[in-house]
Amino acid sequence: MPEPEVPIWQRDFPITAAGEDDITRREFTRYLVLASGAFAASGALMSLWASLRKVETGTLTAIVELEDLPVGGSHLFSYPSPRDPAILVRVEPQLVLGFSQKCTHLGCVVFWSGEDQHFECPCHEGFFNLEGRPIAGPPERPLARIEVDIRDGMVWALGVEQGPHA
Amino acid sequence: MNLPGRRRKVTSAILVYVLLLLSLQIFLVTVAAEGFLDGDATLAWSATAVSVILALIAALFYRYLR
Repeated sequence: MPEPEVPIWQRDFPITAAGEDDITRREFTRYLVLASGAFAASGALMSLWASLRKVETGTLTAIVELEDLPVGGSHLFSYPSPRDPAILVRVEPQLVLGFSQKCTHLGCVVFWSGEDQHFECPCHEGFFNLEGRPIAGPPERPLARIEVDIRDGMVWALGVEQGPHA
Repeated sequence: MNLPGRRRKVTSAILVYVLLLLSLQIFLVTVAAEGFLDGDATLAWSATAVSVILALIAALFYRYLR
């Protein structure tokens, strides 16, 4: 008596339904474990980069004459490199604050709202107070602070403050 | 319980464990990214250390399956 012919699909894919469940779950687990390794590796890469990168802190640079900056007004400049937008705000006659203009959310440029006395990021409506700390919207980290000093009627940038949450 | 059914349950259980570990790792990657963006290498390394441990546990689970 001739044996029943095995269908072509069964020859190409000789796995039973019960076994198929096991194999696909195992395969899926293997991909998950590979993804797990990739996550760990990406974390290690970011950590290594954070440890090794050199942050430019800037040098002593004259920014603007104090008399050209009205009280409550702001002045835009670049610091520490020409590619880094920064902003000066004259809070009081003898108090000037400097910040990076890069929003700590996604890097848009923040501007000073003199009326409301806060910095505003127009991209996602992020707000920072006079000290550069986030007060509303998506940003969670403060603006990078630039140390400034007034010497002989001139506002000077001394450097970008370093460290976590600088 | 018959053997194939038991094996399938074990496979599913390990799959769930690995999924849980992976979801924790997604959170840890965001923590490492936060440390990276913030210039806080200590935070980034701490998150990475935990993430590596979780990856090793996931690999051990997978080894148990083979």
